[in-house]
Amino acid sequence: MKIVIIGASAAGISAAKTLKVMDPNTEVVIISKDDTIHSRCMLHKYLGHERDAQGISFVPQDFCEANNITWMKNTRVIGVDPQKKILKTRHHQEITYDKLLITTGAAYFIPPVPGMREAHNAFGFRDLSDAKLIDNASKNSKNAIVVGAGLVGMDAAFALLELGLNVTVIEMADTVLGLQLDPKAAGEYQKIFEGAGAKFLLSEKVDSVELDNHQNATSVHLASGKIVPCDFIIVAAGVRPSYDFLEGSGIAANRGITVGDDMRTNIDDVYAAGDVLGISGIWPNAMNQGKIAATNMLGGSAVYKDRYALKNTASFYGLNTLSLGNVNPADEVNCEIIKREDKNNYQKIVSNDGLILGVIFQGDIGNTGFWQYLIKNKIDVSDIDKPIFDLSYADFYGIDQDSGEYCYTL
Amino acid sequence: MKRIMIDREKCDGCLNCNVACMSAHQEGSNFYTVNLQAPESETRNFIKFDAKTGYTPVFCRHCDSPECVMSCMSGALEKDPITGHVKYDEEQCAGCFMCVMNCPYGVLKPDNKTRTKIIRCDFCEDKADGPSCVAACPKEAIMVREVSL
Amino acid sequence: MNSNFSCKTCASADTKLETFISNLDVETSHHRVEGQRVKCGFGLQGLCCRLCSNGPCRITPNGPKGICGATADTIVARNFLRAVAAGSGCYIHVVENTALMLKKTAESKGLLKGKRALAKLAKIFGIDETDEHICAAKIADAVLADLYKPDYVKMELVEKMAYKPRFDRWKELNILPGGAKSEVFAGTVKSSTNLSSDPVDMYLHCLKLGISTGLYGLTLTNLLNDVLLGEPAIRLAPVGLRVINPDYINIMITGHQHSIFAYLQDRLIEADVIAKANALGAKGFKLVGCTCVGQDLQLRGAHYTEIFDGHAGNNFTSEAVLATGAIDAVLSEFNCTLPGIEPICDELKIKQICLDDVAKKANAELKPFIFEEREAQSEEIIDLILDSYKERRGIIPLNLQPDHGNSDTLTGVSEGSLKDFLGGTWKPLIDLIVSGDIKGIAGVVGCSSLTAGGHDMLTVDLVKELIAKDILVLSAGCSSGGLENVGLMSPSAASLAGPKLRAVCESLGIPPVLNFGPCLAIGRLELVATELAEAIGIDIPQLPLVLSAPQWLEEQALADGAFGLALGLPLHLGLPPFVTGSPVAIQVFTKDMLDLTGGQLIIDDNAKSAAETLNGIIEEKRKGLNI
Repeated sequence: MKIVIIGASAAGISAAKTLKVMDPNTEVVIISKDDTIHSRCMLHKYLGHERDAQGISFVPQDFCEANNITWMKNTRVIGVDPQKKILKTRHHQEITYDKLLITTGAAYFIPPVPGMREAHNAFGFRDLSDAKLIDNASKNSKNAIVVGAGLVGMDAAFALLELGLNVTVIEMADTVLGLQLDPKAAGEYQKIFEGAGAKFLLSEKVDSVELDNHQNATSVHLASGKIVPCDFIIVAAGVRPSYDFLEGSGIAANRGITVGDDMRTNIDDVYAAGDVLGISGIWPNAMNQGKIAATNMLGGSAVYKDRYALKNTASFYGLNTLSLGNVNPADEVNCEIIKREDKNNYQKIVSNDGLILGVIFQGDIGNTGFWQYLIKNKIDVSDIDKPIFDLSYADFYGIDQDSGEYCYTL
Repeated sequence: MKRIMIDREKCDGCLNCNVACMSAHQEGSNFYTVNLQAPESETRNFIKFDAKTGYTPVFCRHCDSPECVMSCMSGALEKDPITGHVKYDEEQCAGCFMCVMNCPYGVLKPDNKTRTKIIRCDFCEDKADGPSCVAACPKEAIMVREVSL
Repeated sequence: MNSNFSCKTCASADTKLETFISNLDVETSHHRVEGQRVKCGFGLQGLCCRLCSNGPCRITPNGPKGICGATADTIVARNFLRAVAAGSGCYIHVVENTALMLKKTAESKGLLKGKRALAKLAKIFGIDETDEHICAAKIADAVLADLYKPDYVKMELVEKMAYKPRFDRWKELNILPGGAKSEVFAGTVKSSTNLSSDPVDMYLHCLKLGISTGLYGLTLTNLLNDVLLGEPAIRLAPVGLRVINPDYINIMITGHQHSIFAYLQDRLIEADVIAKANALGAKGFKLVGCTCVGQDLQLRGAHYTEIFDGHAGNNFTSEAVLATGAIDAVLSEFNCTLPGIEPICDELKIKQICLDDVAKKANAELKPFIFEEREAQSEEIIDLILDSYKERRGIIPLNLQPDHGNSDTLTGVSEGSLKDFLGGTWKPLIDLIVSGDIKGIAGVVGCSSLTAGGHDMLTVDLVKELIAKDILVLSAGCSSGGLENVGLMSPSAASLAGPKLRAVCESLGIPPVLNFGPCLAIGRLELVATELAEAIGIDIPQLPLVLSAPQWLEEQALADGAFGLALGLPLHLGLPPFVTGSPVAIQVFTKDMLDLTGGQLIIDDNAKSAAETLNGIIEEKRKGLNI
């Protein structure tokens, strides 16, 4: 059987690995627009010159060779014909498949702000190719602007600070990392970044980008009237699942490719996994989806169960944060919030009636993995008579006498 | 694969396993010389105590389906196909701590000193006698056994 | 992040204190509880032996004996005897110093403030001497002579001090102590490598050490102090961190030896010394009470209103006292002087001076008290403290807690002052017990600890349960420091008592928990028990009286406990004293002791069930007396 995978990131590689473990004789072809397999979560380490391109790979250099996988790199798919089971590439190749897995991820989105899309020096920060362009642009630059203070924006800002640039981060919300943290935890990172030289303009909207004669942005105009000069801009304003090439194919999509719990699309033998689904842009989930898709492509009946996506870790300048669930409960939501703080830590637990709704651990995040289990499985802890911060897996300890694997005893 | 089996009832909280683990990861040290004050001295296993439930050993299971490996975005964590144990490449690790977040038993932690790497059980793969913690337990509350994957 | 040292501090029954400590940027013992939460089971059970280089041996199914052949019972007994010997040694050190102080004061014709106390002791000792100084010197000599006897010569004052039925029983059991210091010596020798392996013999030795600790280290220390420093007098006093007045140069005192401060406390209020303080902008000097010596000052506070501000808190409150920033110096002469105060004193530039080398802190200046040089020494100490005040005040920020504690704690209760209060006789108290308005008496004494629920948690909860059952509580030790700071020793606490006890308290204007002061005052409780038993004509084990040291902390507490068991009292502890690994220990302490001395050990870390057990025992004793 010949299985073709479009995309060589978390979901695609995870699927390829799974296929080869389950049935080494399966023919596996990976088609990717990337020319290197790289972890997009580590792009800032590349841009900040901490690692080279090889260093941000998440598989050994000879992964495809060693596993007998045909890898068509630098190749964009421009169309799919599910009836004939043929893919068309930009180089006019036609690739046949028995089963197809679409793991084309997402692409950065540049908002329709006048001048932003036109600017030659406005970049996304999604792929290694973006990072290379930015690296190049930074060589003769002093002032950089990052639009968006989410995780990607902060990653970019970090890398640019490492390069010694003046960095200004512009964000519409009134805190950085608004989707991941609460204002207090976010504020700690803002402080540290400011200490490293970054400037933050919060609650600010970009109205327009001023271009010079060569279509290069020279400054950014904010709704408040401020004008910020720049040598280049990184736009970290979100991503959209990438599946333009599916137009006309009949494969159902709605802000992401539509799949069942088994990763099957509406078309036989066509599967999809990862960020292209648009359901959760989280690395572990993408890996899991890829594994499930691969299992099912070989006749298995795996089901995507653990969909929990409200989970994030952040690590900048030695400050680590773990954030799970709903950490910014709206005022009306019926819940209890307890916090503790000392010179190295900020901790917060949001709960309601014995159910943990959200946690933030900033500072020491050791041994905190069990909180995710409690939250996503809606474990009721009200019967456990101890301060909630003292909880650990030990309070739910259970062990299989034969296999030695742990389980939760409730 | 070999796994450390745990008999919770036998644990008496003496923390020998902690000391053994620290010593195993401190080159050339033994129980007399292992530095019990340095932040770099870290144990990969934990004994929790609660007045109601007593002592609970929390040790890495090198799970059949390791959540840590499934969440690693740098390729630093891999399940060894032969030994079945989860291997950690410290150089490759990017310190993102998604593994810390995903371990359902809260076994993983960032290192004390730099807070950029993780501390995790390596099954004392480099030691001929196997896991140091097992050898050090005076109650034989932890034992190595062959289990099917 | 804020500047708090750590967000993990242990709970305290004193919630205001808990909040204060959790917000500190310095580390205290309350912060360190979390990091020591997992206790070694071998240690907890007493089954770890480190007496020789073949060890440390631990008793396990695979290793049921130490390499030398010591069984669990032997290992536990040796560890326990060693602890009781050390604890006894502590108290004997205190009484030795106190007796020496009295002797030297008498010989130099110094002021003896407790005339009635002197007469009382002279009567007990059988000393007929009209000159008060010669009399006092003879009393001191009699005590010292006993302390210095070898262990094969029985101490003479035991028969004079002890209640006769108790003395007779101890004689039968052959546990009358020889010289107190020699018995401590013997205890450490017996429990050393490959010496005694007879657990029962070792426990009997513990009882012996208990008797010498109780009669000399506890009871006599109080009475000797009374002669020198004046008897306790009942009054209402302020307690807690609120007593610390920033307008003065404040000295925190820690220890058990009030007599060491005899000269200094009077010197500090003399005009020329006050003038030195004025010159630096302070109104004068104040001693801030902490630990048992603070309780002693509080007990006698009626005589020391000018120099003594009040008792701020117990041992595990000492770090918080320093953290207020308003303490300029620490004078330490015994325990509990936590090692943990060293970095705090460094950080807050608080001068540490140590008056007895047994309580030396690494960064304290040692000025061991020498009677003959007390004048010169006091001048030096005063100058050091003035320097400290100059160096630190105005620079180190204040963090005062004027709301902490209360202003109406009843203090100064002793066997003498209580009897005076009742009209010079125990009859009113006995009548109330007979009628059932007071069901019984519980001595809730001893230390404060941070385990057993947290700081003073079990102590406070237990006391609340007991008074709710109409049981009058007498307290002595750091437990008092905790109980008073949460208001249980204020007259208003009567509202928490059961209806009968409440009525008694409200009519007398007293709280249901009476403050006898330092742990030394456990000896005073023994005097009360003796006098009550004598008045009724029974032996101590028959009284509706129970003893509890719910949060016992240190080896001294174990020696106190041995005394309680020797007196034939039921003794409750919150946590076991590292003996549960030995079936013989359990048998001896919980069952055999009843036949030996009438005493019994009860271990329970739950306030409700402990109170029920103690209540049950009191009701049994009442039945036995037909009341």
